[in-house]
Amino acid sequence: MFGSFRVGEKGKIINISKVGRLVQRRLLDLGITEGSEVCVKCIMPFGGPVMIESCGQCVGLRRKEARLIEVERV
Amino acid sequence: MEIALIGNPNTGKTSLFNNLTGSYEYVGNWSGVTVEKKVGVFKNNIGKLIDLPGIYSLNPLSKDEGVVTTYFLVEQVDRLLNILDASQLERNLHLTLQLLEYEKPALIGLNMIDVANNRGIKIDPAKLSQILGVPVVPVVARSGKGCDHLIEVISTSSNHSKVKKHVYYGKAIEDAITKLSIELFGRTQHSPRWLAIQLFEGNEYVFQYLADLLEPSKLESLVSNLESAVKQENSHVKSLENYIYMKRKEVIEKILAASVQKVCSIVPLSERIDAIVTNRFLGMPIFLICMYLMFMLTFDWLGTPLSDVLDGFLTGPVTTGFEKFLGAVHASDFIHALIIEGLIAGVGGVLVFVPQIFILFFFISLLEDSGYMARVALVMDRIMESVGLNGKAFIPMMIGFGCNVPGIMAARTIETPRERLMTILLTPLMSCSARLPVYALFVGAFFAAHKALVVLSLYVLGIVVALLLAKLFTKTLLKSETSLFVIELPPYRLPQIQSLWRSTWDKGKGFVRKAGTFIFAGSVFIWLLSYAGPNGLKVDMDDSFLAFIGNLFAPLLEPIGFGTWQAAASLITGFLAKEAINSTMNIIYFVPENASLQGLLSDFYTPLAAYSFMVFILLYIPCLATAATIYKETGSRKWTAFSILYALFIAYVLCLVIYQGGKLFGLV
Repeated sequence: MFGSFRVGEKGKIINISKVGRLVQRRLLDLGITEGSEVCVKCIMPFGGPVMIESCGQCVGLRRKEARLIEVERV
Repeated sequence: MEIALIGNPNTGKTSLFNNLTGSYEYVGNWSGVTVEKKVGVFKNNIGKLIDLPGIYSLNPLSKDEGVVTTYFLVEQVDRLLNILDASQLERNLHLTLQLLEYEKPALIGLNMIDVANNRGIKIDPAKLSQILGVPVVPVVARSGKGCDHLIEVISTSSNHSKVKKHVYYGKAIEDAITKLSIELFGRTQHSPRWLAIQLFEGNEYVFQYLADLLEPSKLESLVSNLESAVKQENSHVKSLENYIYMKRKEVIEKILAASVQKVCSIVPLSERIDAIVTNRFLGMPIFLICMYLMFMLTFDWLGTPLSDVLDGFLTGPVTTGFEKFLGAVHASDFIHALIIEGLIAGVGGVLVFVPQIFILFFFISLLEDSGYMARVALVMDRIMESVGLNGKAFIPMMIGFGCNVPGIMAARTIETPRERLMTILLTPLMSCSARLPVYALFVGAFFAAHKALVVLSLYVLGIVVALLLAKLFTKTLLKSETSLFVIELPPYRLPQIQSLWRSTWDKGKGFVRKAGTFIFAGSVFIWLLSYAGPNGLKVDMDDSFLAFIGNLFAPLLEPIGFGTWQAAASLITGFLAKEAINSTMNIIYFVPENASLQGLLSDFYTPLAAYSFMVFILLYIPCLATAATIYKETGSRKWTAFSILYALFIAYVLCLVIYQGGKLFGLV
């Protein structure tokens, strides 16, 4: 799961359907969906958002949503 | 000929717009800086270019994106100019395919090929053009390279795509498209194929459009039948929308395989900078240091000396020049007083602050242009989330530091209506540049030793009050749990001095123009009110109409420290424009040569009352232009009235606490 990832770790998204519909759509717009490879770039303190990178594109999203994304380590 | 400029956010659309039209436009680097429809005329006069907000898809999520879909449905588009970010081609092409389905002449500007090259991505524009069936012109929008060629191509070729069907969506969908096309035959000018696909993707705007032409229930059943048919055919499909996306993706992968070569991958500098500025521990301190530097430069190191020079020029040579001229033409006492005591005092009192305001706008432009603004949203999200907003709401508030009007308009990029409304209501609490002259006047008179710090405290107070109110509103008026925070973080770009100057000037010119028009007329009016009284002209100021009006409200202001008619009168003019407070004070406390308003003010205010007055100015009411924008953006009289009344209430209560509390602690 994404929640256990640390900065610099990479993974491949296997299931994104548990995330809220709007967030899912927005991530899709940015080219992030099942099968995308993502890398955690930074994690904000106090439960703040995370910054992830996919195909050279950086995206910020909330940690509680990131936790709902199922990822397998690569 | 009307050409619409469309592309993903952060693809350099606005830079390209400026280069093609040669107009003074505003360039930004965070998603959705283009908040209004902007029209420019091409350099060679072939037609008009319309700059639309950045979108990822024609199926909108936010109000901002809805502008584009509405534009496509309602207005006549002659040609489409689609700008692509060459370094993010895969994502960008999703929009391109939707645009080509719209079946209007189109062409593609392939931007940032230099960035792509640096990342080891080699694109063959000729091949891309051949596959898509429309011209593809490589450009570098920031430097203007290739723009001439682009204009040439726009004006010569007709650009109808030679390929009719870019994506084959499978039998079920294609059949449904045909079915809907037959129903729509002769009823719409738009491509039925495009309308059908958008409908199947769940585009609300297109649904509304089609519901006017056909039975809504029919549309709904068509979509739901199709969805179950598609799901039956492909068991792994989750939704129709997703299925369409995947079909497009397959096509895009084929296009990329044929036209793009990846040589090697290099870590961009951006990521190295991000490792520092969005660092878990350093992010917030770096942001605060940036703000501190911005304020020190604006008020202490650079802005104030410049303002002093300008002030010296206005009260010195300019006033003497006018005096001489008026003496030479033997102007009457009335005209003499009107010009010297009314106009020069009123307009000059505002113009003096032009340097400080331009410096502030310069820094806001710098934050936007460099890409740091989106990082600020990321850094601030945790705090914003705790009060029921999201990090994106911080951007309109930052823009609000310059002027509340564009700040409120920038709230359109916020996806959820509740958060958007809340941002609109709270942005007026951000201390805009028009309030700055008032602070500058008062801190100069009372807190000369700690100018920047006192002003910074006011800005912070504005933010803190906004956050507390956000929490309160979330708990009471605007209850809802949905919140969305996904933000694109564009790569850092070295701001170019030319575009920085353009956007600084673009924001600042409004202030100068207002001084020449609104403040000019206001100054004359205020001076007349102070010159005339119930007992005729040229009365003592304390017997003037202005004093009479001010005295009506003065008792109300007594408990918060400034119960004089002068304060009341200037607060009333402050509703028209905040900087008018300065003009009014300059006229009311008209001081002859060799003295300053600042020196005179200490006779009327104690330092505590002065601080209370500044806090009141900060919060008490959105100015007229802001109130009008709130009305336009919310479309609701109720919320507009609310935004004015709650501000008055909060301002009064807070000043009461500050003044009475301060007195209790023995401050004066």
